[in-house]
Amino acid sequence: MISQLLDIVTSAAILYAIAVGLLLVFGVLKIINFAHGGLMTLGGYAALVTTQFGLNPWLAIPAAALVGAVVGMVIERVVVRPLYVRPLDAILATWGLGIIIGQLITIGFGRGVQFVQSPLSGTLEILGEGYSQYRLVLVLIAAALGLALSLLLHGTRLGLDTRAVIMNEDLARGLGINSTLVRFITFAIGSGLAAVAGALITPLSSVDPNMGVPWLVNAFMLVLVSGASLVSLLVACLVLGGAQVLISSLVSPVLGGITIAVLAAIILRVRPAGFARG
Amino acid sequence: MTDAPMVDAPMVDALAIRDMSAGYGEAIVLRNLSLRVPRTDIVAVLGKNGMGKSTLLKSIMGYLPKATGAIALDGHDVTQVPPHRMARRGVSYIAQEKALFQDLTVEENIRLALARGSDRAAAMATVERCFPFLLKRLRQQAGTLSGGEQKMLLVARALAVRARLLLIDEITEGLQPSVVTTLAQVIRDERARFGTTILLIEQNIGFALEVADRYAVLDRGEIVDGGPTAGATARVAGYLSV
Repeated sequence: MISQLLDIVTSAAILYAIAVGLLLVFGVLKIINFAHGGLMTLGGYAALVTTQFGLNPWLAIPAAALVGAVVGMVIERVVVRPLYVRPLDAILATWGLGIIIGQLITIGFGRGVQFVQSPLSGTLEILGEGYSQYRLVLVLIAAALGLALSLLLHGTRLGLDTRAVIMNEDLARGLGINSTLVRFITFAIGSGLAAVAGALITPLSSVDPNMGVPWLVNAFMLVLVSGASLVSLLVACLVLGGAQVLISSLVSPVLGGITIAVLAAIILRVRPAGFARG
Repeated sequence: MTDAPMVDAPMVDALAIRDMSAGYGEAIVLRNLSLRVPRTDIVAVLGKNGMGKSTLLKSIMGYLPKATGAIALDGHDVTQVPPHRMARRGVSYIAQEKALFQDLTVEENIRLALARGSDRAAAMATVERCFPFLLKRLRQQAGTLSGGEQKMLLVARALAVRARLLLIDEITEGLQPSVVTTLAQVIRDERARFGTTILLIEQNIGFALEVADRYAVLDRGEIVDGGPTAGATARVAGYLSV
């Protein structure tokens, strides 16, 4: 029971870490960045390279953030910005970019599955049951990411500008806010967060050129049911992630794999605003 | 027509529009429109619904592309300048609809209009002088203010940035007469205090002619009349009657 509860919490935390960058980009740019999976993969390989160089495995997180943010800046400037007025084309372009990133990684690192050293091993005793320390730390990291993003959005001028662009971009522009710059910074932060998420999940599974793709679908559905709210994303991750854990463990792992997508579709059918207000 | 606040002028105007055609994509709404707004003047553009009044302000502010013509702000060409740069050049625009961030607080709505590093204390002093009640509502969500209070917040926000040019789109629509009177007083006082140039769009002839120094009548995308507002009520009413 305790173990299952912790599985729900840690799975929700992992999903939150993966989806939060996608949510940020969706909120500001009004597009789903389908390169998010590719950027996660980049983060995974940043973690791999970090540990292969014999560096402290925790350094994989800032390394991934840096790689993701820089690549995100290039993508926004070269691919996404010229397509602002054609959002559907922008979405398709990011999808293609995800494929390109995967292929470039294949060229550089090969198709094979590789493993990354976990920065934290062993278990922690909780109410008589041992549980992975790393998964527990992931909850703290996901909470820290959410808190940092919340502070950025609600405690800084950049955050105020960003919220204004999310709510009404035309009005924000009329007040002197450079929405193009806000979009650029947001895409870079969102891409950095995607890569960090990739680095965080690698010790739990493995690294391969398509490692981000399976996560992308779930993250996409979670963002759709969350609107553009960090709080509703947290609720969505807990509810849908929890359902995924329960169905995987009690019914079938195969059904668990499609739980988030199916539940999100049902929620959006019943309540188009999903977990968001309104 | 001869006395209209438009066409060429030897002095540099706060705003000068020359032969501008603009609209939405292929649909041209404004046709070869020329208009000048001298510094510190208040000019009211009047016209029936659908004549292009809001389109005029959106075009000036940089929201809409111009098919032809040019716009100058204090003698500098701003024809292709985007909205955020217009705002940074000292143009404040009060749109007719969705002009507030409803989910943000009163304070956040004001702060958004202030450039980084600008004098926040002076801005708040302006807000206090114009609409003191807003200072007690700074942490209230803008969307929870009444309609009249929201309009006052819009004006307060525009005045707080100490704009060179203020563009106001039908601020009186749906307001009680007492609120209209308050707004007229504030706008006149702030112009007298800081010399702010104002271009306002109105259907409320009484308000427009009371506040403005000059008027222009817009009909089917063209300026068809204009002149000083003094004694112009009957003439303007003739254009706006059905």
